[in-house]
Formats: sequence, structure tokens, C-alpha cells
Amino acid sequence: MVNINGSEVREGLYYTKEFEWAKVEGDKVRIGITDYAQKQLREIVYAELPSSGTTISQNTPYGTVESVKAVSDLVAPVSGEILEVNQEVQSKPELLNEDPYGKAWLLVVKPSNLQDELVKLMDFNKSAEWHKTLK
Amino acid sequence: MPKRIVIIGAHAAGVDAASAARKKDRTAEITLITDEEHAGYSRCGLPFVLGGQIPSFKSLIVFPQTYFQMMKLSLKTETKATSIDTTKKTVETVDKHGKTETIPYDSLIISTGASSFIPPIKGKEKKGILSLRTLEDGERIDRAIKKGAKTAVIMGAGLIGLETAVAFHERGLKVTVVEMLPQVLPQMLDPEMARIVQEMLEQKGMTILTGKCVEEFLGKDEATGIIASGEQINADLLMSAFGVRANTQLAVSAGIALGETKAIKTNARMETNVKDVYAVGDCAETMGIITQKPALPQLGTVAVREGKVAGINAAGGYALFTGGLGSAVTRLFDTDCGVTGLTETAAQRFKFETVSGTISSKTRAEYYPGALPIKVKLVVEKESQRLVGAQIIGGEEVTQRINAISLAIQKQMNARDLAKADTAYAPPVCETWEPVVLAAEMVLMKLR
Repeated sequence: MVNINGSEVREGLYYTKEFEWAKVEGDKVRIGITDYAQKQLREIVYAELPSSGTTISQNTPYGTVESVKAVSDLVAPVSGEILEVNQEVQSKPELLNEDPYGKAWLLVVKPSNLQDELVKLMDFNKSAEWHKTLK
Repeated sequence: MPKRIVIIGAHAAGVDAASAARKKDRTAEITLITDEEHAGYSRCGLPFVLGGQIPSFKSLIVFPQTYFQMMKLSLKTETKATSIDTTKKTVETVDKHGKTETIPYDSLIISTGASSFIPPIKGKEKKGILSLRTLEDGERIDRAIKKGAKTAVIMGAGLIGLETAVAFHERGLKVTVVEMLPQVLPQMLDPEMARIVQEMLEQKGMTILTGKCVEEFLGKDEATGIIASGEQINADLLMSAFGVRANTQLAVSAGIALGETKAIKTNARMETNVKDVYAVGDCAETMGIITQKPALPQLGTVAVREGKVAGINAAGGYALFTGGLGSAVTRLFDTDCGVTGLTETAAQRFKFETVSGTISSKTRAEYYPGALPIKVKLVVEKESQRLVGAQIIGGEEVTQRINAISLAIQKQMNARDLAKADTAYAPPVCETWEPVVLAAEMVLMKLR
């Protein structure tokens, strides 16, 4: 884990420039928002997430997170069918501020085109470099 | 087709307007235009970077580029809005390369802010007269200090003037403050409260000259000193803190009406006299809650609340800005000063007959180590006994008392209501008898 200008970037995750992370867990992928994103949004009060059984596709919005002052689209890091939706985040959206890489994961998906899509994401090192450029 | 919302200005009022508009309308095309290099920074923080409490000017950027990206707000920096056509509903812009663009809007929000102002004084065109409004201004002053400035004259003893004076003092400069009116913080405090602040500043080693008019800037091309009421004062740094004027030229050229305060006239939805055009922040006139007369508070808290209202309305929603009390607070060295509502001086100007109560107390139990002095002054309208204002000077715990009194004024509470307030107490954090309650009791005794 590294801390870049006050925001954490963790090893073992893939990242998008839309401030999302993806973690490959066997044949599933867990996704969520980055520490940088939750810090920009501040006090998150609402997360609008799709239902399990539906699909998401890479680089396409699948939901929104809303804070007291801001709102941002959630943009899918990978394509696939949603297996699990984090109900706890929907009832306690403040978890996104407290633990964006842990308890506040958003979805678990069954990826449909993982190998092709992963190469389009940033790995830990690239993401750390990219975080340094964020002003 | 998505709604097109254009916002001129990208600081407190503009960015909050954009955020509120985005929350209301997830698909609108929202564009912010600013002629500055940096958007979304806190101007209020500038003196505290100069003073060294905040590490860098860049720390003041509250909304970085990525915020605009996340919120899908299109931000055009170093781009100047040159004209507005309210019939065609377009804004003309020119960027730093001279490239012009015509941007169409469905709703337009003007948040052009205000600019530092120097009255017509002989020699005002001379170079080197500094002011503190933008990040670049701050960097310019910082460079001048680093180049070895030893002395500074600050013209104006308002909030910015005194905050900057303290910053200069912290940086080791010998500071003189010149104020035309007979007291410091004339907008904020009554004379006897201002006296406390002035004495504190003088004890720290500043020279405060009140009731002195700046008559001339001295020096060849570069200003090197001033003449204030006949007295010559030379200094390495000359800082203008006379005040700010609303930037209204763009609006006026487009036929948008100004109000009594020479700022853009608005209604409670922050609409101007032109359909679908809103104005917010330091360039917009609002209504004083107590006086019900036009007011121009030019405060950050007002700017963001107005911005939110205009953003919601511009995006097709409905929101009202119900006016301001001019609540303001600052810290000068270790002393906090706050105000809400009218001072007695201002109340008299608006023909209110008032009674005041002032209590000196401590911020913790008298016997508790570290207790600091605090002074609370309440201003009450005589006939209705309604609370119309308060000023507090203290070593700590000023801001939230001001906020509580602000709420009391907004809810039209009178001196008796305040005297019956149910307050909390523990020796390390406050006195048994809340000084605000005691001040209200004093008012009641005077009214007997």
C-alpha cells in the first residue's frame, strides 16, 4: 500500500481513470471506488447500485454515488454479470468513506471478457504513478 | 436534448452552483468559465498561507481538476467571458491563445466575484501597490516578502487588511495599518469592541493609525510610501485593503440590472431581471434578514449558499435564498472575533432604536487552567425586544456562539427567550452561566 498525497493506492488491485478498482478473485471480480474518489466526494450519503443478475459493461456507467455536496457516476472497470451487490453499502453508505477498498466493495461480477479488459486497466504501479499526477 | 447550464466564475459560488445543478440534473451539460489559471480555491485562506499556518497556496485548492471530471463539469480555465447575449442566449469567450468561442446556454449563472478597489488617490497608478484577492496575488506578496521586505503599510483595517497585517507580522515585518474610519473592523464591530482588537494588535507591536486618510502614493514609478493625513510613511510593501467592488461590467453590458448596492440585483431564487440568468456570490445583491433592505455581504458562506440555490433553480428545480445576517468570524493572532446581524452602529444607520448588553467572562470555569477571556455583546431592538445582532471577542469558542445567536436571530427570538436558554456546562469547556445568557439578562435589566 502507498499513500499518495493523502490517498491510498493498494497492491493487488486494478484501477481505472474513473476512480474505480477491480480485484480478481478466482473466476470472479470484485469492484469498488478508490480512496481518492471517496475523499473527493466527501460525506457519501447514497449509493445507487444495480441488481444482481443484471450485467455491466466496461467504461459504461452502472450506478451513482452521492455525497452531501457531490454526485458521481460509477463506471464499470470490467464487463460481466452481477453476482452480488453489497447491501451493507446501500444501508450504510458512509462505509464508502471509511473503507473503500474493504467493507465498501460495491459489486462482485462474473466477468465476460476479463483477459482483454484487464490490459486496459492500470495495475498498482501504473495507478500509483497516475495518482501522483492528480492535482 | 440535455439542458445547457453555463456558469461564469469557478470559485466558491460558481463551483457550488455547478455541484448543486449536477445533483439536480444528472444529464445537463454544465460549463464553468474562469479567467484564472486555478479554479475552485479558497480565497479566504490566502492570508493564512502568507502567515505560514497553511503550507502552500496549492493547499487552498478545494476542488481539483479531478473533482470537475468526477462531476462531469466542463471547466474552461484562463478563459474570459467577454459578452453575454441574453436574446440569443449565448456567452462569448476568449481563451489565453486568443481563440474565441460562442457558448449557448439554457440557464446562465453569473458568479464573476469582486475585485480589489483603490479609491481615487494621487499616484494610484504607480507600480507595486499590492492587493490580496487571487492566488497569484498571494504568490506575488510571498515573493516580495522572500526578497527581504522589512516593513509594510496596509491601507484598510477590515477583515482582509487585519488578517494580512497579522500574516506580515508573523513573517517578521514591521507593520503599520492605516484606516480612514476611527476604528478597526468598522463593518464588524462597534467602536468599544474594536478598541479591544486594536489594543491587542498594538501590544503585538503593530502600529494602527485610525481616522487617517491615504492622500498620496509616493515614489517615482514604483510606490515606496504613502502620505496619510499629512504624515509620510515609507514601507517596502504597500498593500491595498480598501475593500472590493462587485464585478458587474459583463452583466451591465448585457442589460442586467444592478441594485442599490451597485451589485447585480437578484430575487430570492437568485434570478436577475433577465429570464434564465442568475447571479451569485460577491457580485450579487441579496436581502438583509433584519433590515429587509438590499445587502451585499460578500462572504464565502453567503456565496456557497447562493450558489446552491441558483444551481438548483438553473437546473429546473426550486430553491430560495432567504437573505443574510452578515455572520462573519476571524482569528487575529490568538483572538477570535465574530459578528452576526447588526452592530449598534449599523442598527442606528437603519433607524433602529437599540439596547445592548455586554458581558466579560471566561471560556472555561474561572478556576480551570487555561481559561481565556471572552466578551459578548448583544444588540436588541428596543420596542420588540427582538435580538438584532451580536459581537463576540474571545480566546476560543467564539464561532459556534455566533452561529447559535445567528439562528436565534433568524428565528426572531427576543432577549427574554435568550435569557432562558438551556445551556450545557462542564469546567474544562465553559462557565456555569453562559455569557450569551448573561448578556441577554443585562439587556432585560436595561429594558426594565
